[in-house]
Amino acid sequence: MQRWMLSLVVVFLSGASTFAQSPGKVQFARDILPILSTHCFTCHGPDAKLQKAGLRLDLFETATKKLKSGSHAVVPGNVKDSELIARVFADDDSQRMPPKSAKKTLKDSEKALLKRWIEEGAEYQRHWAFVAPKRPVPSLTVGAHKDWTRNPVDQFLRARMEKEGLKPSPEADRYTLARRLAIDLTGLPPTIDMVDRFVNDKSAGAYEKYVDQLLDMPTYGERWAHVWLDLARYADSNGFATDNARTIWKYRDWVINSINKNLPYDHFTVEQIAGDMLPNATQDQILATAFHRNTLTNDEGGTSDEEFRAAAVVDRVNTTMQVWMGVTMACAQCHDHKYDAISQEEYFRMYAIFNQTEDADKGDNSPNMLLITADEQKKKTELEGTIGRLEKDLLIGNPKLDAAQSAWEADKKATDKAPAPIKKILALDGKKRNDAQKLDVTKYFRSTLPEFKKVSDELAMLRKQYDAVKGVPTPIMKELPAGKQRVTKMHLRGNFLDQGNEVKPGVPSLLHPLPKDQPANRLTLARWLVAPENPLTARVAVNRYWEQIFGLPLMESPDDFGIRGKAPTHPDLLDWLSVEFSSPPPKGEGPAGGLGWDVKKLLKLIVSSAAYRQVTTVTPALVERDPENRYLARGPRYRSSAETIRDQSLYVAGLLSPKMYGAPVRPPRPKSGLTAAFGGSTDWETSAGDDKYRRALYTQWRRTTPYPSMTTFDAPARTVCTITRPRTNTPLQALVTLNDPVYVEAAQALGRRIVKDGGATLEAKLQFGFRLCLARPPRDVELKRLVELYTRAQTEYAKNPKLAQQMATDPIGPLPAGMQVGEMAAWTVVGNVLLNLDEAFAKR
Amino acid sequence: MNPTMLHVTRRHFLRDSQLGLGAIALGALMNGQAKTQEPNPLRPRAAHYPGKAKNVIYLHMAGSPPHLDLFDYKPTLVRRNGEPCPESFLRGRRFAFTSGVPRLLGTPQKFAQYGQSGQWMSEAVPNLHGVADELCFIKSMHTEQFNHAPAELLLFTGSPQFGRPGMGSWVTYGLGSESQDLPGYIALVSSGTFPSAGNSCWNNGFLPSIYQGVQCRSSGDPVLYVSNPNGMDSGMRRLSLDALRDLNELQASELGNPETRTRIAHYEMAFRMQTAVPEVMDITRESQSVINMYGAQPGAASFANNCLLARRLIERGVRFVQLHDWGWDFHGTGSGRDIKFGLPVKCRTMDRAVTALIRDLKHRGMLDETIVIWSGEFGRSPFREGRTANGANLGRDHHPFSFTLFAAGGGFKPGMSYGASDELGFDVGENPVHPHDLQATILHLLGLEHTRLTYRYQGRDFRLTDVHGRVVREVLA
Repeated sequence: MQRWMLSLVVVFLSGASTFAQSPGKVQFARDILPILSTHCFTCHGPDAKLQKAGLRLDLFETATKKLKSGSHAVVPGNVKDSELIARVFADDDSQRMPPKSAKKTLKDSEKALLKRWIEEGAEYQRHWAFVAPKRPVPSLTVGAHKDWTRNPVDQFLRARMEKEGLKPSPEADRYTLARRLAIDLTGLPPTIDMVDRFVNDKSAGAYEKYVDQLLDMPTYGERWAHVWLDLARYADSNGFATDNARTIWKYRDWVINSINKNLPYDHFTVEQIAGDMLPNATQDQILATAFHRNTLTNDEGGTSDEEFRAAAVVDRVNTTMQVWMGVTMACAQCHDHKYDAISQEEYFRMYAIFNQTEDADKGDNSPNMLLITADEQKKKTELEGTIGRLEKDLLIGNPKLDAAQSAWEADKKATDKAPAPIKKILALDGKKRNDAQKLDVTKYFRSTLPEFKKVSDELAMLRKQYDAVKGVPTPIMKELPAGKQRVTKMHLRGNFLDQGNEVKPGVPSLLHPLPKDQPANRLTLARWLVAPENPLTARVAVNRYWEQIFGLPLMESPDDFGIRGKAPTHPDLLDWLSVEFSSPPPKGEGPAGGLGWDVKKLLKLIVSSAAYRQVTTVTPALVERDPENRYLARGPRYRSSAETIRDQSLYVAGLLSPKMYGAPVRPPRPKSGLTAAFGGSTDWETSAGDDKYRRALYTQWRRTTPYPSMTTFDAPARTVCTITRPRTNTPLQALVTLNDPVYVEAAQALGRRIVKDGGATLEAKLQFGFRLCLARPPRDVELKRLVELYTRAQTEYAKNPKLAQQMATDPIGPLPAGMQVGEMAAWTVVGNVLLNLDEAFAKR
Repeated sequence: MNPTMLHVTRRHFLRDSQLGLGAIALGALMNGQAKTQEPNPLRPRAAHYPGKAKNVIYLHMAGSPPHLDLFDYKPTLVRRNGEPCPESFLRGRRFAFTSGVPRLLGTPQKFAQYGQSGQWMSEAVPNLHGVADELCFIKSMHTEQFNHAPAELLLFTGSPQFGRPGMGSWVTYGLGSESQDLPGYIALVSSGTFPSAGNSCWNNGFLPSIYQGVQCRSSGDPVLYVSNPNGMDSGMRRLSLDALRDLNELQASELGNPETRTRIAHYEMAFRMQTAVPEVMDITRESQSVINMYGAQPGAASFANNCLLARRLIERGVRFVQLHDWGWDFHGTGSGRDIKFGLPVKCRTMDRAVTALIRDLKHRGMLDETIVIWSGEFGRSPFREGRTANGANLGRDHHPFSFTLFAAGGGFKPGMSYGASDELGFDVGENPVHPHDLQATILHLLGLEHTRLTYRYQGRDFRLTDVHGRVVREVLA
């Protein structure tokens, strides 16, 4: 351990100096900007308030202009006259930059780089991430390493491996790949049947076929939804104080459904930011805007609605820029950004765009849209049918009644008793009445007759039922009408009560401009996010998908693509994937096209690479050389998400409910006996029936008291947008999967499934259970160890029937006929071990 | 030799390593004796400089007690009781439940000076009188937040918004923990209700989840899922863990992934926690006289029990223990929330236990190394709050502009009273102290420089004190 840690330190320290010694021209973005941003920008960066000596070093114009002192910080090509060089090399403490008080010291290698840069002309370049990517050509020629590379992804990766002196690993066996792909794409392991078919498929397209099969499963949308829901800070509660329930699960369902139907990423974007403003917006497009209604509201007594409305708008600005562009705007809320050139005024220009929606921290989360569930729709349709039939009965042709109706209409005294709408029709001349009006009059008249009383009473009741089906209210974004739009003023130091100058809506000048011919509103902003000239949206997206598949993003600070962010390990690959992902598909004979924002195709491309298919076996030397697997000379192996770990256990046990969508559910959870502040109990009654076995993403997500086992496996509270979940490995996690009744029940169900379907012999049963969990057959030595465990556990339980009874049935319930208590207790112990194997948490 | 128990993915570890604090961790690691593959992020780490204190017990009176009826004596306010509030104090200010011109409310509690140091206290806290010379009062606290949840978040996480790590997470991130079979950061809740900000008061925010505050519970499992399932005794658990270890070892030697061995170690630590946690949470292991001193009752879910547990946890090396006691929101909305008669009743559940905690720590020689803080999240107004102004019960509104807290031990100057509110208790009169200053001071006493305890997240080096904070050197012993 000590050895590899030491070698890492050497890598850190040598990072900057390798460039200094490297031949070729100094590159501003790669070599100089990191030095300036770390050591100089605090006082000479974009933040106008902190600028010392009027010097700003992040732009060529300001760095080279004449300073108040008469000198120039940077004179291109002239080291002697560049005050910057004089200052960083100064011996005198009072002259030297950075000053002692800054506690930042430049290394000699860094000083030398600055000098060389000015000598070579002090060329400024824009930070790479703010320049739109162009499709790079892999440096590895086509045809090289044909034995290994499967697609362009591999060409980039292999070239980098070569530079690092690394060699790729061989391809993993089909069992391993079957499980790896299923977990990555659907969040669940494959069935034994799926595995066997894939393993035995000798056709050339077997791999592709298997990938397509997984991408087509509805479980695919559920697995990828939770990634997006972290970004969307989706939860089923309001956030502050009482943290009351919020009904917004229709949005969660929209996300799952959109992913499953493979809504292209650009549409997926525009609809969530501004679906309500699209021409002829559909119900689904409006529902998508609930994305930004996942902000917190505060219903604590004595709070200011305007304060928390403003906080929600701030959150929308920050979240939008984080999710789509990987830019951290939040600092600029209170002051000019210290590193990326975003001023506080520019921040509030974005704020102005989001400041025009009707919502205002109301207790009912208004404005809401009423959405009908499938069940409710069914009921409505049924009622419509019955009502229609009864009305027909009422209106059946009958000359006698028609005559009576004419007499009634002529009798002023009688018609006076009719309700207002009918009287209104009666006031019209008979010829001027349209058909519907005529029917209305007849319906009313006949319903007053004693012979129709029964029918009309029934109709009244049914209509009441029909009107009662109101649908599910879901908070949505709703733009204020033109006359009611808010004036946006700067919030000085971020305080909503301390307002400064009025600002107009817009985007930071650092980025590409909004189209001039479009109003600067939410819809224009949404389209701006996915415009071809946007340098970031595609990069941020492919980086996120890459991280989900390989466990580590290409750009190691996915939350910060700004100048303080990390350099990507494979910049060319990142750019290639971005261009490939976002370019429109090829048309006819034209130039090569891309995937047109097709996420399934992007994922298929990534998982089809040779890099993805490698074995994860690693030698101590390789761990030492590349502990994090940044260069991918072996397959990806990392712990699964909180959702996958839980879902997998229920799934292999045969408990997981396949039911999709709907109101949040409440799986078993220990009672805390505590209430929320000013609110009700934080405990819940477990959902009835299969609803306690639903996939984890349907679990009710209360922000102040999230589901405990999810939190233990690093699920966030979803109070704010989460870009990356930490991935930890702790003893508390062991306690969950060993002892949480949810997992104990899964072990019991797994045991029963093994005994029921696993075959005749002990070995066959263990094989079956092992394969349910890990897809592959056990090795002999593994099987032997499990036989020993089962046998010893059974012997122990034979001695203690009371314990055996508990182990076999609590909490799952009585044993099915024919199963032996002692055996089933032992099978529960075996199930518990299988569900806790390292290989069950981290793909092989 | 202490086998590696806990593990953050290397990526996070390395991410930390490149910044201030992480560099210390890295140094500690390389000097340490860890023989296995993975560093243990919770193992004790050297501070930035030698600190006076090692541990913290934070006693949070959720809802915010009426400091003007307990510790901040304002004779002028008593004299002017019932007068309309001077306009100058109200202009441009917002209050939670009061508008118009409220009436001044002098305390109905009797005040006197106690101890050698002559600390002012009311008769509502008779036991605390006896430890007056151990206490360090800060009477010039102020905050910007006047709603419970944001004020609690500011106090415990340094920001009124959700999503930041709690103070205890920062401290365990900085110092690790002395305990290898208990979590390093523990929260205890009493009086039946969570604080307004829920578990965000002890959440790890963007820090890795090993720094998360673990809530210990008074009923059911003391730590969630620490008990074996029904039907599995300790012997059977051992039997199954042995099989699990052997199978995981096979995996580790076949694939060579170091994380597998870390997981093996964690299952062993979990096994030890199964013994250690119930043991530490079992207060019947204390002598009857100690139990009586605290006013604790085995089996109850009381603040007194939690005070005793706090000492037991600290004794076993837990770094940071946080107690939240509900029921201090004295609006006068009922007889229990009346500052004349209701307050002494509520204080009875607190006064004896806090006094016992301070005495007990002192007696065991632990007070010097343990910071004890007692506070609400803000203060209460010097006037009767709007809704209950004409009612039978006396109540005060939320008041962010000045309030009082006290500290004991851990390097705070004993027998001290620092800062003051103005004559009527409206604003800070002298030496203002903000929650960020308090946080900086607590970190300082633990040997951590608050400007250097940082974590890179979303492109920024975050810290507990945001961009603020001043170590209040005047209150240091």
